[in-house]
Amino acid sequence: MHDWSTLGAGMDDLIDGFYRSSSGIVDGHTVDLSRVDVTHPWALGVSCLLLIERQQFTDKRVILPMDEGTLQYLKRMRFDERLKELGYMDAVDRFSSIAIEEREDLNVQEITHCRYVDEFNARLGRFERMFRNFGLNDQDAKRALVIFGELGNNVFDHNLGNWPTNFSGSIVIAQNYPSFKRIECAIGDAGVGFLGSLRAAFPELKDDIAAIQKGLKGYTGRIGEDRGNGLQTIQNWTIKDFHGILNIHSGGGLVQVDEQGIQTKEVMPVVGTIAQFVIYYT
Amino acid sequence: MIHMVLELKKFGKILNSRASGREAVLRARQIVNGEKDTSDDLILDFSEVGVVTPSFADEFISGLKKQYPHKKLNIRGAEGNKVLQDVLNLVEQKGVPS
Repeated sequence: MHDWSTLGAGMDDLIDGFYRSSSGIVDGHTVDLSRVDVTHPWALGVSCLLLIERQQFTDKRVILPMDEGTLQYLKRMRFDERLKELGYMDAVDRFSSIAIEEREDLNVQEITHCRYVDEFNARLGRFERMFRNFGLNDQDAKRALVIFGELGNNVFDHNLGNWPTNFSGSIVIAQNYPSFKRIECAIGDAGVGFLGSLRAAFPELKDDIAAIQKGLKGYTGRIGEDRGNGLQTIQNWTIKDFHGILNIHSGGGLVQVDEQGIQTKEVMPVVGTIAQFVIYYT
Repeated sequence: MIHMVLELKKFGKILNSRASGREAVLRARQIVNGEKDTSDDLILDFSEVGVVTPSFADEFISGLKKQYPHKKLNIRGAEGNKVLQDVLNLVEQKGVPS
C-alpha cells in the first residue's frame, strides 16, 4: 500500500513511484503486479492497458500482489471483473476467496468500462454524483464533470472505428483522499494514442511525448475539421481552478503538467492512452 | 415580435459530446423551421441545464451560427451557473471555436 503521508507533497509522487518500481513488470505476455503499488487509479489504469494488450494470447498471465489488503482493494475496485472480461481466468479464481467488507465506499469509483460513447454519456449523471460524494461543492462538481466529459469525448472521438484491439471504449477509475482533499480521476483507452491520432495531420511528430505536447497545445488530428482545444480547457481548468495536475501517458511517453510547468519522461509503452486529472478541494 | 426560444433542458440536463451537439443542431433546425420563425434573434435558454461541455457547446452554437447566419443568438438562463458561463465564454471568445 502507498504511503498516504506523502500525498500532496510534490509532483505526483504516486505516479513517479509507480514507474520507478515498474521495471520488469512486463515479461512477454506476463504482467507482474506484485512488483508495484496498484492501489491508486493511475496504477490500475496502466495495469488494465497492459492486460488488454495481451488478452489475445493464450499464454497470457497476470501475477497478482500477495498482500491480502491489496487484493481486497482490487476486488473492491472490481479488478476481478475486468480480469474476467479479458480472460485471465486463473487470476479471477484467486479472488473467489477474498472477502471484502463492503461494496459501497463513497471515496472510490470502481473500474468502469464504458464500451460506447452513449454508455459514457449515460453515466455522466452518476459521475457528477461521485464528485459530490467525494466532497466537491456544486460548481466544482460541475467543473470536474466538464473536465471528465471532455477527456471521455477524446477517447471516442479519436478512436471510433479504429480501435487497435478488440477492446473498445474507456476505462474510468477515481479515488478520493479525504485527508488530503485530493481527487484522482483516470480515464484510459486501448486506442491509437496521441501519436496515432495526430500523425496523419502532423507527420513531423517524432515520438509520443511530442505528440502529447502537440495535443496539449490544442491541435487535433481530425484533418479538415474545425475542432480541437478541448484538451487546453482540461489543462487550464485542472491547473488554474483546482491547482491540480494533468498526467498523460500515451504509448511510451509520459507528460505531467501543473502550476510549475510541464515535465516529460519516457516510460514503459502501453497500447493507447491513460489521462488523469488530480484536483484539490477545500 | 415573437422571439424563438430553444429550451436546452429539453435536449438534456448534462450536454456532452460533439455528436450530441450536431444532433441537437439538426433537431433545433426542425424546431425553428417548423415555427416559421421570422424574428431576427434566437434565444438559447439554458435554464435547468446542469453541465455543458465545450465540445457540445462548440458544435451546437457554431452549428446554429452556420445554419442561421442572419440571426443573433442570445443566451439566457445561465445565471448562477459559473461553470456553464465559463464554457459559453470559451465558445464566444473563439468566435466559431474549434
